[in-house]
Amino acid sequence: METLYLVIVLAPLIGAIVAGLFGSQLGRVGAHRVTIALVGLSTLLSVYVLTGFMWGDRTTFDGTVYTWMVAGGIEFEVGFLVDELTAMMMAVVTFVSLMVHIYTIGYMADEDHNWPETSRLRPNAYQRFFAYISLFTFSMLMLVMANNFLQLFFAWEAVGLVSYLLIGFWMNRPSAVFANLKAFLVNRVGDFGFLLGIATVVMYFGSLHYGDVFNAVAVRPDQTMSILGGAEWQVVTVAAILLFIGAMGKSAQVPLHVWLPDSMEGPTPISALIHAATMVTAGIFLVARMSPLFEYSEAALAFVLVIGAITALLMGLVGLVQQDIKRVVAYSTLSQLGYMVVALGASAYAAGVYHLMTHAFFKALLFLGAGSVIIALHHKQDMREMGGLKKYMPVTYWTMLIGTLALIGFPGFSGFFSKDAIIEAVHHSDRIGAGFAYWCVLLGVFVTALYSFRLLFLVFHGEERMDHHTREHLHESPKVVTVPLILLAIPSVLIGLLTVGPMVFGGWFGDSILVRSGHDALGAIGFHGVGEFTLHAFKTPAIYLAAAGFAVAWYLYIRRPDLPAQLQQRLQTPYRILENKYGFDDLYLNVFAAGGRGLGTLLWRGGDVRLIDGLVVNGTARTVGRVAAVLRHGQTGYLYHYAFVMIIGLLVLLTWFMFALR
Amino acid sequence: MIEQILFYVFAAVLIFAATMVITARNPVHAALFLVLAFFNSAVLWIIAGAEFLGIVLVLVYVGAVMVLFLFVVMMLDINLARLREGFVRHLYIGVPVAALIVVQMILVLGSGAVDPGALPDATLPIPDPAETGNTTVLGGVLYTVYVYPFELAAVILLVAIIASIMLTLRRREGVKHQDVAQQVRVRKEDRLRMARSFGGSGSTSTGRNDNEHPDR
Amino acid sequence: MTTDAFEIPNLTLALPEIWMLGVACLVLVVDLFSGDRDHTPAYWVAQLGLLSAALITVQAQWGLDVTTFDGNYVADAMAVVLKVTVLLLTFLAFAYSRDYLRERGMLRGEFYLLSLFSTLGMMVIISAHSLLVLYLGVELMSLSLYALVAMRRGSPAASEAAMKYFVLGALASGMLLYGMSMLYGATGSLDLAAITDVAAAESRLLLVFGLVFTVVGVAFKFGAVPFHMWVPDVYQGAPTAVTLFIATASKVAAVGLFIRLIGEGLEPLHGDWQNMVLLLAVASILIGNTVALVQTNIKRMLAYSTFNHIGFIFLGFVAGSAEGYGASMFYAVTYSFTVAAAFGVIMLLSRQGFEAENLEDFKGLNERSPLFALVMLLLMVSLTGIPGTVGFYAKWLVIRSVVDAGVMWAAVFAVIGAVVGAFYYLRVVRLCYFDQPEAEGGPQPSGSGGFRFVLAANGLSVLLLGLFPGALVAVCMAAFG
Repeated sequence: METLYLVIVLAPLIGAIVAGLFGSQLGRVGAHRVTIALVGLSTLLSVYVLTGFMWGDRTTFDGTVYTWMVAGGIEFEVGFLVDELTAMMMAVVTFVSLMVHIYTIGYMADEDHNWPETSRLRPNAYQRFFAYISLFTFSMLMLVMANNFLQLFFAWEAVGLVSYLLIGFWMNRPSAVFANLKAFLVNRVGDFGFLLGIATVVMYFGSLHYGDVFNAVAVRPDQTMSILGGAEWQVVTVAAILLFIGAMGKSAQVPLHVWLPDSMEGPTPISALIHAATMVTAGIFLVARMSPLFEYSEAALAFVLVIGAITALLMGLVGLVQQDIKRVVAYSTLSQLGYMVVALGASAYAAGVYHLMTHAFFKALLFLGAGSVIIALHHKQDMREMGGLKKYMPVTYWTMLIGTLALIGFPGFSGFFSKDAIIEAVHHSDRIGAGFAYWCVLLGVFVTALYSFRLLFLVFHGEERMDHHTREHLHESPKVVTVPLILLAIPSVLIGLLTVGPMVFGGWFGDSILVRSGHDALGAIGFHGVGEFTLHAFKTPAIYLAAAGFAVAWYLYIRRPDLPAQLQQRLQTPYRILENKYGFDDLYLNVFAAGGRGLGTLLWRGGDVRLIDGLVVNGTARTVGRVAAVLRHGQTGYLYHYAFVMIIGLLVLLTWFMFALR
Repeated sequence: MIEQILFYVFAAVLIFAATMVITARNPVHAALFLVLAFFNSAVLWIIAGAEFLGIVLVLVYVGAVMVLFLFVVMMLDINLARLREGFVRHLYIGVPVAALIVVQMILVLGSGAVDPGALPDATLPIPDPAETGNTTVLGGVLYTVYVYPFELAAVILLVAIIASIMLTLRRREGVKHQDVAQQVRVRKEDRLRMARSFGGSGSTSTGRNDNEHPDR
Repeated sequence: MTTDAFEIPNLTLALPEIWMLGVACLVLVVDLFSGDRDHTPAYWVAQLGLLSAALITVQAQWGLDVTTFDGNYVADAMAVVLKVTVLLLTFLAFAYSRDYLRERGMLRGEFYLLSLFSTLGMMVIISAHSLLVLYLGVELMSLSLYALVAMRRGSPAASEAAMKYFVLGALASGMLLYGMSMLYGATGSLDLAAITDVAAAESRLLLVFGLVFTVVGVAFKFGAVPFHMWVPDVYQGAPTAVTLFIATASKVAAVGLFIRLIGEGLEPLHGDWQNMVLLLAVASILIGNTVALVQTNIKRMLAYSTFNHIGFIFLGFVAGSAEGYGASMFYAVTYSFTVAAAFGVIMLLSRQGFEAENLEDFKGLNERSPLFALVMLLLMVSLTGIPGTVGFYAKWLVIRSVVDAGVMWAAVFAVIGAVVGAFYYLRVVRLCYFDQPEAEGGPQPSGSGGFRFVLAANGLSVLLLGLFPGALVAVCMAAFG
């Protein structure tokens, strides 16, 4: 049992090591074969585990693989907790990762052109890329399979590290370096909260192991602690909010979302793998995994709900004005992450995690589709230079269309079930802020449909705006690109129909998710089969809002393509606000970054140069130098001096311990 | 009674001799005083009934080690004045330290800490000296109870031999030495070359000795 | 008659020592008759002998706790761990120094021979169960080491170092012997178990008096401050191959010496020696760090930083508990493997007529040899004690044992010492990775494939042990469990 899980986790790691260290010996083909084979193995086994949970009699596994050390009664271990939630995540992560691995062969085929001739990094860039994505798969699996906070934290950081490496993969581009630094720093803010959260948990619940912590929480949920000036806080609330701050960093929730759009500087497979399907969902997974903790804190859940709702609506709006094809998808990702977080905040964990799964498929599909378009246009990403691609790239078009329909929640597609479940759950929730959240997610549906079809119309329909040279070379992408698209399109359509019943409403997640009585918003919906659920949707506003979004998009970009520019003229202020993304970037750059630099300079001038360098460091160095000089003098080289020192040592020991201390 | 008197007499001579070893100006004198000290301690051992150790001390140390030592001292020209200079110069600091340690030793040893009667019984029965000789007993113990340390001591001696050979034996380049075996083994053909003269060339036939051969 | 009480000793129990003696004699004979200029047969016989001796040790002695040779010899778990460590360290020393010595014309059969005898001496110390055997073991080890230091006859520095080492070593041996005679006088026995019994029954001034002298003798073998003066001169004067051997194997043997003689043998006097050890530890960390900070020669830097680590090993002794000894042992074992690899890298970069001794020689190593730059990084990080490498665990175990012993200030002091150590260790890392090499490009790694392989494996084992220290920690703790 344990061996199976170990194989799943270690296979990608081995692939990463082989491709990373012996890349030049293996060559390009060898590197991608090894990594794909090993990730494939991992995928097969993960699916096997998932089917075991679905239809077999596989039971929850919670065991320690290796005890790292024991300190002060707290065990530092590597261990696996595999239950329904984990199994689902494992399957999603490995499947998407496998698709991305295959897709990368096509996307990175002419990778050499991205590096200057003289770069030392150029020869092995291709192999290095495969090593990174395999390493990412390993880290992500470690994250979802952890059974303790320590491993969770390490995997969390490992995922962040690989993400950093991949965003800045083209490190000769200043924009990529800026983006990865930004991602790293913003995540640091989140991780700080995360680490504090773990510290709180260890301090008050005395263990790093999930099971122990959850039991301790259930026994004493009302424990309080005092922070800053004696205000008493419920420990669970503090821990939950701190952990959620970590989740906000990884899952790019407002106001820690600023890194995600910039991370599109990385190669597109990365955008699909990390920044759409898997890594950004780590925060969602975390909250779902910690449901036995969050459930005991109304305040924390309300906080989660509101943050999610704000993200869902505001980020969708920004997506309306983006011109870069990948950025539109990126803002869409932010918005959808908001939906997931809203579900978590409404105690509809199953719906949130379910949306995570469906979203992983259709968003990976959209990203890879966008990547396919980018390949065809020779790495141009501006939608104003596209249009009418439908006839050149039919496979890409149809699969993108499927992805879009799933995204806007077209009845029957996977996204429909997950999103509708969320909206309904929020509707039925009586948590503080649920009303506000409900309006946000409803409006979000309209916005989603609008920007999604805007993208589709601008890229595939209408006038062909690319230059002549590009148009001549337009053709469908190679098989390694289109096959993953098709393979991803299938679950994007079907998975909702097949699994929504048991997974969202049937309590399939079992003990892996805890919902306390009175919180069960999903149960309040009342689910009576897929057909009834679909029909019911026609009685809710969401589906009409989506249709309205489609209609507006059609009118603006197909019927009257001149209108958007006029609108832009009329609505200058709102447009500029959206264009500037509500000023978060400027705020961070001008206030925090600049302020930090200013403070740093001040401290450097005043503190470092004068006090530390002048007094402490140089002073210490001088002192050390002097002492060392004296000691060096002691090292005279004369034998009798040495012997004499020994005798003195003996004398001191004798005198002190025989006569003074007795 | 007579044993005690003898003990104190020889002990006094021993201490005097030992003091002279470290104060004598002439290294040869010092070595000779050391010989005297060895003799006295041998006598003390014999008084204590350890005749074997006494004999060994005389045979090994006096007979072999000290002779060698004297040899070295006489052959090497050691500048005594310089050695002594350091000795005197550091006396003012050395003496107090030495005195301190001595005082402490006296305090410890004089406080009745060493009490032969208080010692636990020896682990091995001590045979009657009248029946078995000291040498027999030592031999018996050395090859039974203490066989392990005994063998170790042998290994240490082996190491000493190896180390001293390694540090002193050296092959110098370019030193000419005789290899008798090779000289005996040598054949005529090795040394003698017959050169036949052809008419008109005028050269003579001679046997040429290989002058460059180092054995010559 | 005494012979009546004599039992035939259990020779199979002492097989590792007997085997090593056999190997050493075999090397002597083989080397004499082989006539190979590179002493290849001697090398292989020695290496195979060492590895097989390690196997035999585990086979013959693991899991036992018995004495033989009339209580002169003991075989227990601690003996196995330390002996195997010493044997493997000797193996590494031979593997690393072969090319180095050959290039300098110093490769002689006696190098292997004397090292093997020294190793034998260390094994004797580790398994000793009486004062007499302990002393003989120390002498066997030291005598061989003196000769090894003097091996480079043409060099005045080596001769001077050997001379100092020899004279001071003799002085320390004298003190050790004097202390032992006091212990014998106070207890009437050479057997360590008997001494423990007597010491437990009554605490006497004479015992403490003997104790002080033995502590001094043992501290000299460690090179603990203030009995450390020989260390820098010997490290620098001796050929790097010999320095490696002294810096690693002899320290491990010294741990055995301390635990056998003072830790276990004089366990009832713990209250007396605890503060002595603490004093030596603190002085070692203080002096070691201070002087290591200003060194520019990496061999001297390693020598001075040794004091720092010896301080940590002594801190582990302070507690006088099983955990403390286990921690010290773990520290000594892991430290010696780490330092062995560090010297290995130095020798790798050295070549005929050039010693990679200065810190400048490591500038830009990453450009020349990424693998060995990585190895150096791991080693330095481990010596600093950064989590993820084995050095962290060693420090952590020691500090925990000190905290358990209730000497909080010493624990804090040790942590500060470790932080200061980071400065000069990480400086090497900086040189390797961030500095440009000197104009001529700096020394290139040389050496045969086998050497490189063993060195790389040695270096990476530091990382591996850091990630999975559990087994080794368990073994070290079980040795005193």
